Amino acid sequence: MFLEIIDVFTSGLINGSVYALMAVGLTLVYGVTKAFNFAYGSFYNLGGYFAWVLLIPLGVIGGYFSVFFMAIPFFFIVGYLLEKVLISPLRKYDDWEMKVMMLTLGLSLFMDFGYQAIFGPRIKSLPGIIEGTVQVGEVVLFQQDIVIFILSLSGMLCFWWILNNTRTGMAVQAVAQNPAGAQIVGIPKDFIFAATFAISTMMVGFGGILLCQKNFVDPMGSTDIMIKAWVITAFGGMGSIRGSLYAAFILGMLEAFVGWYFGMIHVQIATLTLLLVTLAIRPRGLMGRE
Amino acid sequence: MLKINKLNTYYRESHILKDVSVSVDRGQVVIMLGPNGHGKSTLLKSICGLVEKIDGQILYDGQDITGLASDKIVNLGVTYIAENRELFPYMTVMENLKLGAYSKNARGNEKENMAWVASLFPKLMQRQNQLASTMSGGEAKMLAIARGLMSDADLLCIDEPGLGLQPSYRVEISQIIKEISRQGKTVFIVEQNIPQLIEMADKIYIMEEGGISFEGGKYDVLNNEQLKEIFLGL
Repeated sequence: MFLEIIDVFTSGLINGSVYALMAVGLTLVYGVTKAFNFAYGSFYNLGGYFAWVLLIPLGVIGGYFSVFFMAIPFFFIVGYLLEKVLISPLRKYDDWEMKVMMLTLGLSLFMDFGYQAIFGPRIKSLPGIIEGTVQVGEVVLFQQDIVIFILSLSGMLCFWWILNNTRTGMAVQAVAQNPAGAQIVGIPKDFIFAATFAISTMMVGFGGILLCQKNFVDPMGSTDIMIKAWVITAFGGMGSIRGSLYAAFILGMLEAFVGWYFGMIHVQIATLTLLLVTLAIRPRGLMGRE
Repeated sequence: MLKINKLNTYYRESHILKDVSVSVDRGQVVIMLGPNGHGKSTLLKSICGLVEKIDGQILYDGQDITGLASDKIVNLGVTYIAENRELFPYMTVMENLKLGAYSKNARGNEKENMAWVASLFPKLMQRQNQLASTMSGGEAKMLAIARGLMSDADLLCIDEPGLGLQPSYRVEISQIIKEISRQGKTVFIVEQNIPQLIEMADKIYIMEEGGISFEGGKYDVLNNEQLKEIFLGL
């Protein structure tokens, strides 16, 4: 019983860490632009397919090391172009936030069906980053899980550091806290918006690679990820990075324990119940600001 | 230094500024008076690239800056200091100041400007780790001015710094503006709650219903009982 709980706890922790990595990116975009990116889940899948294409058909030298090395610039550029080409032309409209939601929703469908057309409707599996186990006392841990945990944690630390220690990071926060103030001090909003999309796409792409190699690449799996990311963002408080971090780990744990005790089929309903109850009691989420 | 010719601005359906022409010379303190809601703030914002629909011509040092994006204008050395402060609420005083020096032209002189700001606002420096959102109205106003100075601007467009403040803060603001001007900066200021400022003015404009209704020196206003009473309450 005790060992089982440790197992469940570890799985919650691992999933929570990757969710945190992804949700922080999503909440950042919302915090800065006040628009919601509904194609976020499809970019998660893009991470999975990116790794699959490089590892299986292309058989890239260096394996996952090369995949990660190439993923960072790839997803940064994809996110940057997404904002420049599709999102920024909408900003001249008064209700552009609404238009962004519609556009990203459409983009998400387009990408999901695109994956099916290109890669076929069947799920793909990725090789593990690392095989084998580690034994700590009586507890057996997969090395793969440890690597996922370390990588997503380092991803978040990098993100945190950039946000608080670079001029661009501070400018991103400035736009989120007061767009008019940011304009006054001469922060170029267009660049910051594009940079924010680039960073968040990088984070979700990275998260996609990490989780898809543990699970599968599923062309229709983006909805599930989108719902999770959305629940975490709303539960943590829209736009609050710290809130998303806590929410991601709470959700990871909830999923693991509900799945273990009641069965996987109840996981989604449990997370949505948690969200609804939280929002009913505290509409701005855990750490959202008025 | 600043020359505005026949500026018109629009917000949605309304026509705010109507054929406004203003000129400010280097090193001057120019004050804009006039009733509330008649376009004074809009004029300052237009200069700084913060108003979308504008029409006419704004020349800064001979360069046409009409319709330029605000970050480009800040880079040229023009800064707006907002009446409602527009600080970054969840950042500290120090972080707000550092972001004041975001523009490329300000980065090189960040240290010198920080030292200057510290000498002008010793009280802010004592609170450098306090969050901007937890400051009182007067302190926040001081921070907004200090943040504006960090931009290394030559032309400061200051919007009603004394609005809603206690008399002691107003006196302090007038002393600070005197010091800013003494450093060779050009000040274009919308303010009518600080009589001491009028003494420093090289030129005074009055704006009514989106147009300039008066232009003159400080004595033209001070010797005109009617203007003095209407616009300065003296």
